Amino acid sequence: MIREKLLSGKFTITAEISPPKGTDVNWMMKEAGMIKNAVDALCVTDNQRAIMRMSPIAACSALLQHGYETIMHLTCRDRNRLALQSELLGAAGLGIKNILVMSGDYPTKGDHPGAKPVYDLDSVQLLDMISRLNKGVDLSGNRLEGKTEFFAGAVSNTELTEVALMKLEKKIKAGAHFIITQAVFDPGKFSEFLDQVHDAGGKKIKIIAGIIPLRSRKTADFLNRNIAGVKVPDNVIKRLSSSSDPGALGIEMAADMIKELREICDGVHIMPVGTHENTRKILEMAGL
Amino acid sequence: MIISRSKEFKDILKTVQQRNIFIIGCGKCAAKQHLGGEPEVLEMKKKLGISGKNVVGCTVLSSACNIASWDDVLTQNPDIKKAEAFLVMSCGGGVSIISSVADKAVYPALDTESLGGVCGDTIVLEQCGMCDDCDIWLFGGLCPVGQCPKSMRNGPCGGSLDGKCEVDERKCVWDEIHTKLKSLGRLEGLKDIHPPKDHSKRRGRK
Repeated sequence: MIREKLLSGKFTITAEISPPKGTDVNWMMKEAGMIKNAVDALCVTDNQRAIMRMSPIAACSALLQHGYETIMHLTCRDRNRLALQSELLGAAGLGIKNILVMSGDYPTKGDHPGAKPVYDLDSVQLLDMISRLNKGVDLSGNRLEGKTEFFAGAVSNTELTEVALMKLEKKIKAGAHFIITQAVFDPGKFSEFLDQVHDAGGKKIKIIAGIIPLRSRKTADFLNRNIAGVKVPDNVIKRLSSSSDPGALGIEMAADMIKELREICDGVHIMPVGTHENTRKILEMAGL
Repeated sequence: MIISRSKEFKDILKTVQQRNIFIIGCGKCAAKQHLGGEPEVLEMKKKLGISGKNVVGCTVLSSACNIASWDDVLTQNPDIKKAEAFLVMSCGGGVSIISSVADKAVYPALDTESLGGVCGDTIVLEQCGMCDDCDIWLFGGLCPVGQCPKSMRNGPCGGSLDGKCEVDERKCVWDEIHTKLKSLGRLEGLKDIHPPKDHSKRRGRK
């Protein structure tokens, strides 16, 4: 269980996995199979980048039946407070223990740009609501028959403005137990981020660093252009451009990054571009 | 001020099937934005005429959303009787008021966008989220409900980068709120967790 592992101070590995665009879960199961027993939990996305997919609650349930521990993403974009709470009660009922909360990319970024954006709650308010459900009461103060026992997390960029740091403090105050960060490419800057969070009162919070193994210069450019909060530094792009085998170099760089981060934070979260075919190898090279 | 945008003329033509049209402009917000004042109404009259419509008359009400009575409008504009349809060049408020009293089809010429304002010659969009529960002073006078596309009340989302919003070209209002409160020496209040909005205030009014 990642709650116990993180809280006991053991280095924890999570990996991102997407529900299918359709009803066929075979590809998702194959992806999960590639990293079985190599990671502690699968982090299941919620219509990521505002692209419609199978609900994370259904995908988590299918993965749980196959013996995987999951972290269910839950965004504020698509559901109001009634739907968020009933989804959370349903998730608890299905045995889902961990929730990762985020605002959610704006609908115009995805494949249903005309969708009505909900954002009834923000991520701070959603974390606070989960804390209430964990105490056995809903957002209106009604008592629940059976409370939830969620281990809740939040997300964060690693380069924060003063006001972004202030929001992160609120997420911790509202009940976040752990933070998964956007992809880290600069350990020096990441170390500054850790200091910032600890100084801001988050001494107990568990921080899991995001890792995106790069495949080529093209991947790096794509991430810099399209993914909020990702900044692949110039020196990394230069190394990839001049390499005769950028794929292998990307694997090596990811493994080196994990080795370095292992000394300073509580875990890593692998977010591959495409598939998990190299994830096991990266973790082995990092000595995990 | 209600911020509106002109519909595409071809879309208006597609919607308005009737031939005999009476045009109603609005002397308030729409006129100020040059979308429904006298020059725009006369221009619309000309274009409809060229497109084969018969404009039986036109007027610019002092305010389309605030009329004494339909009889009053009729008395001042007897040509209305010849019309089969009205084209109203105002915000949705004006179109709705005219629709509630007119006995013929009413069509909008504008799309209503947001509650904004004008400062000098600059039109500013989406200033207020019309939540019916104003606490704008907490945010240095910048409304996060109206000005953040995600209506975030506790700080910026992860899409706010270098002071820019992820949604479009606008600035991140949370950066502006922070700058403003910092300059006023009132940053402490921003650290409070603000609860979700009570939307029952908006619809549950007696």
